[in-house]
Amino acid sequence: MAAEKWVYMVTAQTPTNIAVIKYWGKRDEVRILPVNDSISVTLDPDHLCTVTTVAVSPAFDQDRMWLNGKEISLSGSRYQNCLREIRGRAGDVEDKDKGIKIAKKDWEKLHLHIASHNNFPTAAGLASSAAGFACLVFSLAKLMNVNEDPSHLSAIARQGSGSACRSLFGGFVKWTMGSKEDGSDSVAVQLADEKHWDDLVIIIAVVSSRQKETSSTSGMRESVETSLLLQHRAKEVVPKRILAMEEAIKTRDFSSFTQLSCADSNQFHAVCLDTSPPIFYMNDTSHRIISLVEKWNRSEGTPQVAYTFDAGPNAVLIARNRKVAVQLLQGLLYYFPPKSDTDMRNYVVGDNSILKEAGLDGANSVENLQPPPEIKNNIGSQDQRGEVSYFICTRPGRGPVVLPDQTQALLDPETGLPK
Amino acid sequence: MAEEKWVLMVTAQTPTNIAVIKYWGKRDEVRILPINDSISVTLDPDHLCTLTTVAVSPSFDRDRMWLNGKEISLSGSRYQNCLREIRSRGDDVEDKAKGIKIAKKDWEKLHLHIASYNNFPTAAGLASSAAGFACLVFSLAKLMNVNEDQSQLSAIARQGSGSACRSLFGGFVKWNMGVKEDGSDSVAVQLADEKHWDDLVIIIAVVSSREKETSSTSGMRESVETSLLLKHRAEEVVPRRISEMEEAIKNRDFTSFTKLTCTDSNQFHAVCMDTSPPIFYMNDTSHRIISLVEKWNRSVGTPEIAYTFDAGPNAVLIAKSRKVAVELLQGLLYCFPPKPDTDMKSYVLGDKSIVKEAGLEGGDVPQEIKDKIGNQDQKGEVSYFICSRPGKGPVVLQDQTQALLNPQTGLPK
Repeated sequence: MAAEKWVYMVTAQTPTNIAVIKYWGKRDEVRILPVNDSISVTLDPDHLCTVTTVAVSPAFDQDRMWLNGKEISLSGSRYQNCLREIRGRAGDVEDKDKGIKIAKKDWEKLHLHIASHNNFPTAAGLASSAAGFACLVFSLAKLMNVNEDPSHLSAIARQGSGSACRSLFGGFVKWTMGSKEDGSDSVAVQLADEKHWDDLVIIIAVVSSRQKETSSTSGMRESVETSLLLQHRAKEVVPKRILAMEEAIKTRDFSSFTQLSCADSNQFHAVCLDTSPPIFYMNDTSHRIISLVEKWNRSEGTPQVAYTFDAGPNAVLIARNRKVAVQLLQGLLYYFPPKSDTDMRNYVVGDNSILKEAGLDGANSVENLQPPPEIKNNIGSQDQRGEVSYFICTRPGRGPVVLPDQTQALLDPETGLPK
Repeated sequence: MAEEKWVLMVTAQTPTNIAVIKYWGKRDEVRILPINDSISVTLDPDHLCTLTTVAVSPSFDRDRMWLNGKEISLSGSRYQNCLREIRSRGDDVEDKAKGIKIAKKDWEKLHLHIASYNNFPTAAGLASSAAGFACLVFSLAKLMNVNEDQSQLSAIARQGSGSACRSLFGGFVKWNMGVKEDGSDSVAVQLADEKHWDDLVIIIAVVSSREKETSSTSGMRESVETSLLLKHRAEEVVPRRISEMEEAIKNRDFTSFTKLTCTDSNQFHAVCMDTSPPIFYMNDTSHRIISLVEKWNRSVGTPEIAYTFDAGPNAVLIAKSRKVAVELLQGLLYCFPPKPDTDMKSYVLGDKSIVKEAGLEGGDVPQEIKDKIGNQDQKGEVSYFICSRPGKGPVVLQDQTQALLNPQTGLPK
């Protein structure tokens, strides 16, 4: 038989997610097992996603990966663990049209080409590893005809990046910490799908940051080693919050959802501050946004907007409904207007149809904004121009999907190299 | 007898203090009893102090007080509690030279004039209530010939403002939380006097702040009510830190002192963040200063500088020795230079002699200092610096020219 040159490919798209009850701290650094459960909201991949193409061919002589166009090394333990685990579960594959047949035992010897692309900047601190590893595992599972459900797959993605396991589902997801040493029960499960609570609108403020931040991996390890408050959080506080949050999501209780999200975000950052040396992920702009939301909620009587921050200064704001989201955006743009020559469509990205609803799509529309009545005079100086780089408007979204459209593949179907 | 117009006066000076193991949270709001012990360093009153003149006269028709020149109300419970407690302990007083005689039972019926003055701006967030209430109680105790020791007086000052009790002593002070309901055992004691560890130099960075801060009183109440981490701190963490800090002070162990001071400051602020709504006392400038110190200590190997922050963005930095303090000041001035038209004499207050030692009246910052700081490309905002040291406790000022009230009228000068 002539040297086989066929290339067999799958392209998939995976969302990112934002934790509302936070994961911070591992009990096992190798298997990536956490000290507590966590719960997240999956964001709409139309706005924020990772696309990954995986290809296999007898013509490939080594595993290779390209991330956002740049070749990266797969030698690290996280990639190696994911590849080993997924290969170990591969099944028989047949593509009759192309005359390709791969037997289960062949996968060990075949090499892979992987190309991955985030549609949002890595520097924006928007948790690209979660979407990335979830996509890697999902797309390889499809390629290799792995016969496992998303929870089983999440246990593999978890070994690439903890929070990646939660990106195997849409809607509202829980990562159960598990108790087994081998981590086989440390998996993600879906609490509710993306349609369950689709009133919610999410606005992310991408906050300008000059600081190089402490990575989550080293940060949480330092917290486990040095924070005297972390164990108490993990053992006494989080378990109760997990139950309360599951209930809040089930019953669409926005007040409880807000109280829990905000309190847990703040406690996570409190533990970072209680670390030695202390870790500051939020900055003055983050604090001002929190102030704005806290005052708003208090003046309205019942909470309208929840906030949460990950390991960086970006604010993820969750509005009760579209109407509130529009008012929130007006308020945010009043306090954080764009620089003079900025096109609004580059300043509010994602679902930017919200600009029209907010009356903000015309010229000079920002200058004409009135101060939000509830917060007038209370928030300190108005106009923190330049403190927010841009906003993203999105919503709860669906889980990973295969993209059948060949034009979206990131690798060339003949060569298996990046297009 | 002609209508009595005599005026008897005492003037006293009291230091302020900075907690290194923090007080945050009360178990009794009325008696001001804390949920954990705390330890503080008393600052040199030459640089930061409250001066108070208290006067008594049969011609005064009511209690009156002036603070920094402005008359204020004494009707609040904190003032009322202090006045009641100290009055009930008043004793016989005789000033032979002036022919004044006050019997124990007279104090109930006599009225007081009180004038108090802080030599540092109230807006600077430098804990003026601590020094203020300590001075009030101390000066009244002297006026009324109260026969109580400093610890017993601290229990009265405590009822004005919790941290005031620690300003009844110089050096290193501990406020025992106590267990009794009546708070009679919730008192300050001296761990060591100001000479015990006099190598230490303290530099305070008064950080510009646009925010109106949450008051300590309401902040700590909100923390008690809403922080799920506070109780664990008070019951599990602080007791051990108190023992270790006492040991570190006794042995002049700067490494342990630094570790305990920095972690306790950070944990206090962590609890504030864990409050609902969250309280942020530190700002980006505060964080940059912490970063600077953390890098410095790591690059040198053993800690040379400790930091602590109270309920505001000001940094209190404690340097191991004068030499370190001089280098630190050079580093700070490099990162936080004064505005072009600012005189160095208005930018570094307190012990200004350090400015000359740091060679800062002209000339560049040495490269090795720049190396210790790391790459600080972000200039922050510091209003000014105060250079101080551990200092003595309250004293009576004999010099009549320092009195804040007129000796004839008993009114502010």
